[in-house]
Amino acid sequence: MKTRWAAACAVLVTVALAGLLLGLGLTHDPNRLPATLVGRSAPDFELATIDGSQRIQLRSLRGDVVVLNFWASWCLACQSEEPALEDAFTRYRDRGVVVLGISFQDSATDARSYAARNAIPWPLLADPGSRTGLAYGVTGLPETYFIGPDGRVALKQAGPVSMQVVDGEVKRLQAGPPP
Amino acid sequence: MNRRVPWPELALAALSAAAAAALVVAGVSSSESSGTVEQRAHAVASTLKCPVCHDLSAADSPAPVAQQMRAQIAEELRAGRTPDQIRAEFVASYGEWILLSPPQRGFDLLPWLAPAFLGVAGLVVTGLAIRGWTSGGGTSGTSPVETIEADRHLVENALASLEADLE
Repeated sequence: MKTRWAAACAVLVTVALAGLLLGLGLTHDPNRLPATLVGRSAPDFELATIDGSQRIQLRSLRGDVVVLNFWASWCLACQSEEPALEDAFTRYRDRGVVVLGISFQDSATDARSYAARNAIPWPLLADPGSRTGLAYGVTGLPETYFIGPDGRVALKQAGPVSMQVVDGEVKRLQAGPPP
Repeated sequence: MNRRVPWPELALAALSAAAAAALVVAGVSSSESSGTVEQRAHAVASTLKCPVCHDLSAADSPAPVAQQMRAQIAEELRAGRTPDQIRAEFVASYGEWILLSPPQRGFDLLPWLAPAFLGVAGLVVTGLAIRGWTSGGGTSGTSPVETIEADRHLVENALASLEADLE
């Protein structure tokens, strides 16, 4: 009798453990990845523009709000967010906001011809070896990072950004932390 | 009839399994510290997920970003960084999900310990079941000899009843 109780307890504990693991697994969405950089200093980089006309270092933009967008010429979703980025670039360019694009997983030729064809006005940077994309933890395109004047990542947006998101985040970062 | 459960043999089997697992782990870590830079980079990449793939390591994926991860790992190994430092960099950028194996601490210890726990639980249940079967503990609580006697008694009664009916 004692033996049977022990066996039943062992089975119950095993089933309970398996149920606990299954339950915990069901409570989180495996497609939602944590944005580990949010709240931390944005990884610094110094990259040349895709036309080679200038080099931009992130550290030199300290004090400005930086909207850092990872994109590619083959990325259809990236096209849908261009109006929002262009709007932010046009409205805030003289008000302490820098919009930057970083070409990710794209050939320099394709990126250049796409930028010329679509007359993209904000600086587009080449990322040889995807070092900057890997440092930012890019998993798909487009991805946009909002970096505050203090150099910290305030928000990571996976997927196309809207005008409301860009506008709201830029205004929030320019206003500074709440008192 | 009573057969002893071979606990020493079972314990030996469990120890052998643990030793085999340790050897596998040791094999992985030693391949990270020996061989050419490319081989070591491949070993480190095999512990990291390809960030744009489903369930493929950075070593196995043909995706350009995985190739770039391998190139970056090789470059950092050449610069003298250790595999753990390289992994820590990727974890800082992507989070711990970039690791193919969960870290061996805190709640993440559970998937490391669960197989051993389930294996031991399985052995215990099997051992208890075998002991129950071999010790003659049937479900009715009667011994086999008693069961045969009872059956013989039933058959004799039935035959007697049949003979009485025939007469």
